[in-house]
Amino acid sequence: MLETLAQAVINGLLIGGIYALVSIGVTLIFGVVKIVNFAQGEFVMIGMYLSFFLATQFGIDPVVSLVVTMPVLFVVGVLIQHFLIRRVLGQNDMPQIFLTFALSLLLVNLSLMLFTANYRTVHTWYSDEALHIGGLYIPLAKLFAFALAMVLSAALWIFLHTTDLGKAMRAAAQNRDVAMLMGINPNRVFCVALGVALALAGAAGSLLMPFYPAYPLVGQVFVLMAFVAVVLGTLGNVPGALVASLMMGVAESLGIQFIGADSGLIVVFLMLLLTLALRPSGLAGGRAR
Amino acid sequence: MAEALVIRNLSKRFGGLRAVQDVTFSVGENETLALIGPNGAGKTTSFNLITGFFRPDAGSITAFGREIVGLRPHDICAHGLARTFQVAKPFGAMTVLANVMTGAFLRDKRIEAARQKAREAIDFVGLSAKEQTPARDLTTIDQRRLEMARALATEPRLLLLDEVMAGLNPSEIDQAVALIGKLSKRGLTIVIVEHVMRAIMAVARHIVVLDHGQKIAEGSPREIVEHPEVIRAYLGSGYAHVPASEAR
Amino acid sequence: MKRNWRASTPLALGAVAIVLLVLPLSVKSAFVLDIFIRILLFAFIGTAWNLMGGYAKQLSLGHVAYFGLGAYTSTILQIDFDISPWIGMLAGGVVAALASLPIGWLCFRLRGPYFTIATIATAQVLMLIFLKFRDFAWGAEGTTIPNLGNAPLMMQFDAKSAYYYVALGLLVIGLAITWLVERSFIGYYLVAIGENEDAAEAIGVDAPRMKRDIYMISAFLTALAGTFYIQYIYFIDPATAFNFSISIEAALVSIVGGIGTLWGPVIGTVLLETTSALLQSWLGSRIGGIQLTVYSLILMAVILWRPTGIMGFLREMRLRPWRARPAQA
Repeated sequence: MLETLAQAVINGLLIGGIYALVSIGVTLIFGVVKIVNFAQGEFVMIGMYLSFFLATQFGIDPVVSLVVTMPVLFVVGVLIQHFLIRRVLGQNDMPQIFLTFALSLLLVNLSLMLFTANYRTVHTWYSDEALHIGGLYIPLAKLFAFALAMVLSAALWIFLHTTDLGKAMRAAAQNRDVAMLMGINPNRVFCVALGVALALAGAAGSLLMPFYPAYPLVGQVFVLMAFVAVVLGTLGNVPGALVASLMMGVAESLGIQFIGADSGLIVVFLMLLLTLALRPSGLAGGRAR
Repeated sequence: MAEALVIRNLSKRFGGLRAVQDVTFSVGENETLALIGPNGAGKTTSFNLITGFFRPDAGSITAFGREIVGLRPHDICAHGLARTFQVAKPFGAMTVLANVMTGAFLRDKRIEAARQKAREAIDFVGLSAKEQTPARDLTTIDQRRLEMARALATEPRLLLLDEVMAGLNPSEIDQAVALIGKLSKRGLTIVIVEHVMRAIMAVARHIVVLDHGQKIAEGSPREIVEHPEVIRAYLGSGYAHVPASEAR
Repeated sequence: MKRNWRASTPLALGAVAIVLLVLPLSVKSAFVLDIFIRILLFAFIGTAWNLMGGYAKQLSLGHVAYFGLGAYTSTILQIDFDISPWIGMLAGGVVAALASLPIGWLCFRLRGPYFTIATIATAQVLMLIFLKFRDFAWGAEGTTIPNLGNAPLMMQFDAKSAYYYVALGLLVIGLAITWLVERSFIGYYLVAIGENEDAAEAIGVDAPRMKRDIYMISAFLTALAGTFYIQYIYFIDPATAFNFSISIEAALVSIVGGIGTLWGPVIGTVLLETTSALLQSWLGSRIGGIQLTVYSLILMAVILWRPTGIMGFLREMRLRPWRARPAQA
């Protein structure tokens, strides 16, 4: 019993690392640009397909292909901010919500047309390997993913706290008007925020590929997790999103272990609704009272 | 004279910031009272407490004989207290007329009656020429006029005006002062938050001075300008801190 | 000019009504008639969404929750209790309206994008519930509706045109309600809430109550569409009755056509459904995803270039020559 519990917690933590990469992206965009990116999961999907093709066409290991997916998605993020999101900033809710929603819809259905709904998997030398510690079973692929996710999260934290650009982003997140008075160019900061957030999503895609199938709707699982984690961890708060993501992973894993294999999603949704019901203050547009 | 508004020991804090501390004052019916003080003194917070947008941590607010703490903003408006916002909040997609009609519906749900009453209020603030203009296309000053018309359309007995004269030029200030005088003649009780001293002197017979959330002085305009505490608040440390809460 | 236009409105409406009434008599192709029925149905769903999403700007992406509840209520009543879907339709509407109370209580605590996310989540939870509990709703397999031949009292017809008239009736009801709302203080209150909730509260609008009430009406109407659709296709399962794409289309047709306008959802549906039918007849249904790809491109185009939708565009066109002296509101 205790061993089952420990195993479930470990499974949850390992996948929680991936959730963290997605959540941190969502919270970063929200904090800096004040937009909820409904399409964040689709960039995980794009990262997965990119890694899939790099692996099948050029034999590049998915984890190694990070060095391609991250820069590519960084550029995509900058372009999306510059050509799409910038145009709806300052408008009311409808364009702000439905622009990224339309983007999500577009990317899912484009990939459905291009790649069909089939599952794509990549088999690596470590896909079936695992560490056995005591009675616990730790799949190597998930361990790599978790470790790299933590390294990337730490790198982001260092970037936000030590570089001028990172500090500018944090300043913009805290008070945009003051940041602009300080001479920070908002569009440049926003472009970097989108770029970094999408690069993290791309990284999540690459890290998932050795143990998770790619398909057009794959992003939706992750973006829902991210929304819950981001709310739980207080919007715009990077360490909060990280911790909350790990908790979400564990909660989902415990749900699967003790309630049933198909109940993971129910647990997530109920957590989302509970979170929204119990912690509405401080949310996006939540009552500032 | 009967009291329109009685505020006793009102307090509100946001985290570590004591926005309003133990403030007590009252406004007589048909009186015009000015609430002044440096930025961050707690004036707008007081408005938000009185009109139900914030819930006080302690204290009581009685309007026309009824305790209104705990009532929601729309209930307080129905009870006869109308306000304007420091930063005008027009219904941008609606015309000026539709904006004001929305206020008029509080007392009469019929379209024609509301339209007529709205036209009167629009005329009163001098916006008749722009009746069909979408509110988002108005200038900032006209948006404040619109907000005043919208508040008047709810037929208030007590009107709370939050910095309606900020940014006006001297002749516009004179117009606004005249407008407030007209409202007062109609029997309205008025509380204004204002920085324009000339206007305050012209309209208010009674002034309450807040600083750092506390009442530091109260009295007639003449008493206030000579009050040592007030002079210190304005010329001393008062302008050094500008807490962010006032920006709301 | 405006007066002329106003005076001609009843005439134009009368002409449109006659065309709509005789249309199914002249159309022999089942494929074309099916497209008309889809247009009427989605225009109706969009109209129901628009009452809340368009006027009060509460941007729900979970309206399929009520569509599904309506569909399941009438189907359960029909199969387990032999109750006519006509009654089941109303019962479904009531169930949906009641369900909107707790769902609204939860979701209205939030504003902006988080309201939208919460509505998506509640619809998904409902779908998962109907997937999981096989005992009262046939689980994932779903069930077919027993075919009774021509049984108008059980909402089953031999002639496809009969379904057309039912859908048309629903749309007329939806438009009539919208028309009444638009012309009463309720319309003003809803738009005010959508524009600035604090300001609306400050002038005496009980925003939570208004939102709750319009959500109930919107949910009730959406549920009617659910019953109709299931009766039309003779089959129900959670993936059909709670299909996320219905939530999407409800919002999309309104936004593309013109959010918060009487005719917006109708115009939006005609555009989107016609596009989708043309795509289908050109390409067949071989390529999955093409319909929503095109929809999302149209949506992005509207958001980036014309957020007021087609109606907003038409209105600007009409006002342009005499903008200097705008007409009576």
